[in-house]
Amino acid sequence: MNISSLFSQFMGGLTAAMFLFLIASGLSLIFGVLRVLNFAHGSFYMLGAYIAWQVVHWAQPSGAAFWLAALGAALGVAILGGVIERLLFRFLYGREELYQLLFTYALVLILGDAAKIIWGTDQLSVSRPAILNGGFEVLGTTVPYYNLFIILIGPAIALGVWLMLTRTSLGRMVRAAALDREMLDALGANVGWLYTGMFMLSAALAGLAGALVTPIQSIVPGMDVEIIVQAFIVVVIGGLGSFWGTFWGSMLYGQVLSFGILIFPGFSLFSVFALMTVILIVRPWGLFGKPIR
Amino acid sequence: MRLRHCLGLALAAAASTPFAALAADTIKIGFPMPLSGPTAVYGEPILKGAQMAVDEINAKGGVLGRKLELIARDSKANADEAVRLARELIIKDSVDFLAGTLTSAEAPAVSTIARENKIVFVAPTAKTMKLTASENLHPYIFRVASNTMIEGRTSASIVAKWTDVKRVATIAPDYAYGRDAVAAFVDYLKKLRPDIQIVDQQWPKLGEPDFTPFITAQMSQKPDAVMCDVFGGDFVSLAKQAAPLGYFKAINYKLIDGGEVGTVDEAQALGGDYPYGIWSDSYDPVVWAGSNEPADHKAYEDHLKAFMKSDYGSGWAIVGYQSIQALAAGIAKAGSTDSDKVSAALKGLTFDTPVGKRTFNPNTQETEAGEYWAQIIKDATHPFAVMKEPTYMDPQPLLN
Repeated sequence: MNISSLFSQFMGGLTAAMFLFLIASGLSLIFGVLRVLNFAHGSFYMLGAYIAWQVVHWAQPSGAAFWLAALGAALGVAILGGVIERLLFRFLYGREELYQLLFTYALVLILGDAAKIIWGTDQLSVSRPAILNGGFEVLGTTVPYYNLFIILIGPAIALGVWLMLTRTSLGRMVRAAALDREMLDALGANVGWLYTGMFMLSAALAGLAGALVTPIQSIVPGMDVEIIVQAFIVVVIGGLGSFWGTFWGSMLYGQVLSFGILIFPGFSLFSVFALMTVILIVRPWGLFGKPIR
Repeated sequence: MRLRHCLGLALAAAASTPFAALAADTIKIGFPMPLSGPTAVYGEPILKGAQMAVDEINAKGGVLGRKLELIARDSKANADEAVRLARELIIKDSVDFLAGTLTSAEAPAVSTIARENKIVFVAPTAKTMKLTASENLHPYIFRVASNTMIEGRTSASIVAKWTDVKRVATIAPDYAYGRDAVAAFVDYLKKLRPDIQIVDQQWPKLGEPDFTPFITAQMSQKPDAVMCDVFGGDFVSLAKQAAPLGYFKAINYKLIDGGEVGTVDEAQALGGDYPYGIWSDSYDPVVWAGSNEPADHKAYEDHLKAFMKSDYGSGWAIVGYQSIQALAAGIAKAGSTDSDKVSAALKGLTFDTPVGKRTFNPNTQETEAGEYWAQIIKDATHPFAVMKEPTYMDPQPLLN
């Protein structure tokens, strides 16, 4: 076990962590503000990937195709999210979690089948943007430029959303809505549209994550359910609804996963589930969450 | 009551003529197959292949003067669902035979239903040895697919020829198929090349989206060749994540994958990101970059492309097609649709397929099929990777 292999394992974990954060942050945001566990968040991610593929398919061979695709996926999924929130989701607020889960699970099935009808069942894939091809050597390990890009974009988005939540009047309203929706409503704020906006932001993050994953993963039916389980684990580890909790939860998940594979190669899934079990026993409210009284 | 019942039947028959007369005496084949979820990428083309075989046979007048009818159901790649569907197909749809299922989880489960109901079941893809192991073998199960022993040993015999290789690593999906194939590979390689050391073994789960930590962990053990059994969409992810990390370059592209990543389906999905130079297999290479294309293959492929309305068809359709061919040949030889008679007829039966003859070993009830193996190369005439001179590797010499 030398420095070089430890470093490459660390970088692998970091890349995985930042991807998970992009997805889990939206999930956490919606739970924190709207108090809805959105099981269909993974479906938004999947649709983002499919839309990105579609845009690349249309825009090729333009060099900007991939960036257009990322933008298109974020926008497209945000609009879809907005429509779903306005027409369907708003009836769920304040309902029991079981209804929310059943409803959002129904959405998973509907969106999954819709994607299958539009894009079929073939495994699709998108090439890396030319500018991020290749990599560079650090400590005897190759770090792909694309992975570096993902590692940088994760904290950038975390910082952006955190500044939005803490430094703007919009953020103040969002935080107020999370604490007491009725009071904010009574004060004359348009909480309905605030919720729609937050939902669209969360969907856009999922769509963007879906687009950014296409150069390194295949786009297949079922990627929605695959990712939502991981995102839930991250959100639970970090503390439901806590934004920074989600960030550090992702970091921990990524590193435990990565080094778990190095240390116990025969049991790749063991380490992360062990981590979740330990946290649920020791701190059931997660690393950064608050105990519910 | 009886009269009304008869009237109802007559009305129903009248309403649906001319098919009613036909439907009454078709030979029904139940076909549970994943048609949704991640494994539908295989299920759909396999079903297309089976349907095409049914259509071709029916166009020539069917079998024993009766038409075949394929009744497909979505098994969702789930063993419980496949069992439920198999029961339903037998009881409600009164199918005469079962064919289909995709995974090594579904097929053994459906096999027990075939045994209970004494109905012949032909498995097109499941490779697990469990399916036809002596304790599970019964007169009604027949396998058209290859198996993990053949796959693992064939991989080993190819790797054994790479004389400068001393350190081999494995990476395979963590379930029956991957575990069995790797065990067969390691076992046989140790026999052929005692000087080779197995330096690392990785077991990502089926459907793993992020292979990076597995790849970096493997690279740290400095293998000079890899036996990989990751397939389908998972291989697309693996290849795209491994290439920029320098994985393929570090092993000089000495990677062998027995999970059919040589198919045109896989090559199209990866496009220019395919790690050219690796070795893999396929039941049907589809594009034959070489001179050894079997005589019947071209006509089959042309028909398939038209049938699937696709430029290149699929490398998976062939196993669905062969399953129906096997059943039809068995029924014709038995002169009956009685499963006991068809089972007796299938044992030792040789039947023609577009990629050569297949014979059911009367003892194991499988065709012990080999596959086409080749190095996968960049080819100027196609926009994706192709198999270079695909060679059928006869498994018989490996099975003793």
